[in-house]
Amino acid sequence: MITEKIRAAAKELLEKGEVETVIGWERGTFWYNSTPVFISKPEQADRLVFDDFCANNLAKYLLDYRNADGKIAVFVKGCDARAITRLIQDNQVKREKVYLIGIPCTGMKEAPKTVSSQDVAGLPLLAKCQSCATPNPVIYDILLGDPVPQKEVGNRFAGVEALEAKGADEKYEHWGKLFSECIRCYACRNVCPACNCRECAFDANGLNWLGKQNNLQENQMFNMTRAMHVAGRCIECGECERVCPMGLPLMDINRKIIKDLNELFGSYDAGLNLEDRPPLGQYKLDDPEKFM
Amino acid sequence: MRRVGVFVCHCGSNIAGTVDVERVAKEACKFPNVVFATDYKYMCSEPGQQVIKDAIKEHNLDRVVVASCSPRMHEPTFRRCLESAGMNPYLFEMANIREHCSWVHPDKEKGTVKAIDLVRKAAAKVVKDEPLQKSSIGITKRALVIGGGIAGIQVALDIADAGFPVTIVEKEPTIGGRMAQIDKTFPTLDCSACILTPKMVDASQHPNIEILSYSEVEKVEGYVGNFNITIRKKARSVDMSKCTGCGTCWEKCPTKVDSEFDMGLGKRKAIYTPFPQAVPNKPVIDRIHCTKFKNGKCGICQKFCPTGAVDFEQQDELITEKYGAIVVSTGFNQFDHSVYGEYGYGKYPDVITGLHFERLINASGPTMGKIKRPSDHKIPETVVFVKCVGSRDEAKGKSYCSRTCCMYTAKHATLVHEKIPGSKSYIFYMDVRTPGKGYEEFYKRTAEEYEAQYIRGRVSKIYQKGDKLMVRGEDSLIGRPVEIEADMVVLANAMVAREDAGDLARTLGISYDKDNFFTEAHPKLRPVETHTAGVFLAGACQGPKDIPDSVAQAGAAASKAIGLLSKTQMESDAIVSNVDESRCSGCMICKGICPYKAIDAKIITERIGGKMAERQVAEVNKSLCQGCGACTVACRAGCLNLLGFTNEQILAEVEAVCL
Repeated sequence: MITEKIRAAAKELLEKGEVETVIGWERGTFWYNSTPVFISKPEQADRLVFDDFCANNLAKYLLDYRNADGKIAVFVKGCDARAITRLIQDNQVKREKVYLIGIPCTGMKEAPKTVSSQDVAGLPLLAKCQSCATPNPVIYDILLGDPVPQKEVGNRFAGVEALEAKGADEKYEHWGKLFSECIRCYACRNVCPACNCRECAFDANGLNWLGKQNNLQENQMFNMTRAMHVAGRCIECGECERVCPMGLPLMDINRKIIKDLNELFGSYDAGLNLEDRPPLGQYKLDDPEKFM
Repeated sequence: MRRVGVFVCHCGSNIAGTVDVERVAKEACKFPNVVFATDYKYMCSEPGQQVIKDAIKEHNLDRVVVASCSPRMHEPTFRRCLESAGMNPYLFEMANIREHCSWVHPDKEKGTVKAIDLVRKAAAKVVKDEPLQKSSIGITKRALVIGGGIAGIQVALDIADAGFPVTIVEKEPTIGGRMAQIDKTFPTLDCSACILTPKMVDASQHPNIEILSYSEVEKVEGYVGNFNITIRKKARSVDMSKCTGCGTCWEKCPTKVDSEFDMGLGKRKAIYTPFPQAVPNKPVIDRIHCTKFKNGKCGICQKFCPTGAVDFEQQDELITEKYGAIVVSTGFNQFDHSVYGEYGYGKYPDVITGLHFERLINASGPTMGKIKRPSDHKIPETVVFVKCVGSRDEAKGKSYCSRTCCMYTAKHATLVHEKIPGSKSYIFYMDVRTPGKGYEEFYKRTAEEYEAQYIRGRVSKIYQKGDKLMVRGEDSLIGRPVEIEADMVVLANAMVAREDAGDLARTLGISYDKDNFFTEAHPKLRPVETHTAGVFLAGACQGPKDIPDSVAQAGAAASKAIGLLSKTQMESDAIVSNVDESRCSGCMICKGICPYKAIDAKIITERIGGKMAERQVAEVNKSLCQGCGACTVACRAGCLNLLGFTNEQILAEVEAVCL
């Protein structure tokens, strides 16, 4: 049982003093939500769980431990591991300061529409897990459980292609309608492992080109700017879309940028390894310069 | 509250012809912060600059806008003007109402409205300008010359004579370049070798000149005044310190190879010097053709070498040296006419190019100076010259005129007449262009005294008939097709850039045009400089040029390099990138994107959560930064800003125009 394994692993690390904190998941208020937990004592290890509802990408929490003295242990699924790679590449986390416990993942479930029956098996996978290309962690110190097979995910750009086929006015109407619903809660930004600036441009004072009003114009500016700021660095964990309380299809924008980048600079998947640099983060002599 | 002064220039009628400058000045008075505006006939002139200086004093101005030409033209002029009036020269903006407005808009009313907008934009930006300071850097007093043809040699001699050490890097085994292949030079018909080889010897014996032949520039780092240059000394297989150039090795070498120097018309050995007057006169082994390198047998040269200089084990050697200035003089190539099906795709042996012809008439060439056709070594009686092969032909060749072909074809026709009694030359031409001292007279003489028959028209087809070449074309002056039975055809192929010119340009960080010729900083006013400070151009690498022009440009490039090297300190531009360390997260995306390697990480210590902690941030080397701004757009946090073009300043401009 995986939950026993993670509890044992966490307990051992804390007992030996190898790490000062373990970041994992615990059972939430309801049976269908498991929430992040931060434990620093061996006896707390029994709070840890790994079930069908551990969707939260834990990598982002490492930013709060940037100045920690000791090591931090984190449980990582495939998507979480890519997020860790992102943070290491962005120089926000040092590899030697984290202990990564990998967990192969078959996908997380959606919360039920009604809470009466506890039929976990009947629940659909989360949208972000349906198109998951990395169920196994790409970076870890120990791996708990056996790697799971990669399932067929089809063309992940199908949604983008459908949007590309629309006319300009149609696209504007489509996104205008969606962005007018945005409530500017910034959950998408807060959860994103690529959003790791010290001060977000949208929180800064005195940048008069980024308005804070909640109206269509400013919402469009915010959503497009957010997407552009993670361009080339998005690891496609899909957390932004999952946490959006208004259900905006944010991955459509991220994937459009990824598709464009792939077409311009060759295929690139962010966060798969530590060596490959993001296409927009390097200068190559053979970069296309069609505009010149 | 700022006090902005606006000065609108007429530029004679250049601006005033299509822009109502007085109205522009009047409107400018109404812009926020503008306290004074006026117009003047020539703002850049001495009295024009005095107008600015007087107004600064009289109206207590703290910001200045000049609406005139492109900043590329006169920004430095007006910055100096502000400086002499006691202001920081960066509290200044230029509104380009000439190139961006009057020259491109015929309608005076619309042109004036646009000019007002451009001034409004500049006046909005200037308010946000901050005083900037230049920094100064030391200079390495040494020059590097890339390419040792006539241009490179001249540059090296001039700089060396001024007292600065010079290194010539030449990729061939000898210096001399294309001029060494040429027989006679127009319009005087003096012998090319007679005027070139003494210069080659001067270069090799000059105490300030070091020649690195058979070497190439591998990497260029650093910046003006302080370049770090890695040079690859290709394995020569001959120890230069031991070799005396006695020639025993190439006499004994059993392997014969087509000579590149003789354009494949003659042979050389696998261990060789390209020609007898080579400098340095020490051989190299062509490892591709040498039997020893091919199958390990032979080694005859080593056996016979009296000084034991032949070294089959020699490896390429990389050396890194510091230089203050670089002059690029890599020369040209001949256009490959194999794209012309009508001229036989380069397959007829007796259809040759101008450079082949030079080797045929050269006394030290493969035929000892006798004009013999390559196929059967017969002396041709009828020679047809075809000009503009690849030049002025946008469909198959290059759009430009190669400038030298009219003259060298006239020279060739003269030499044919002199060397082959009873011969006849025909020259197919589009135009005859002879803009040079004594050039027109030379052409006239060729046509009149040397009986070359000039036929105005293109050649439509060349084909073999027996041992003759039939040249079919049109005489467009009489409007009739002509067909000439020729023994030999000489094509005046275009001068094209070296095939690796683009690579070298990227290594050096200089720009190049659509034809791969290096681009000068300004076609009229800065013809030997590049946009990269400290890198200068000489000779045909910048565009087709004959020998007099190349030598003249070499002198100009040398004087620019000398001007740079004779300073002890150099000011670097203040328009550089700047990091806001408080916001920088140290992701270093900017480092990978900087084409000038000007950004590096540094560790800062700061108080975080009650204790001192170390943190990585980006740091810009102000001497290396060229102010291109690539990093500023790569930084998602916007903590990189180009001084003089900050986000706030650009946005002020946008708002002034769009809102």
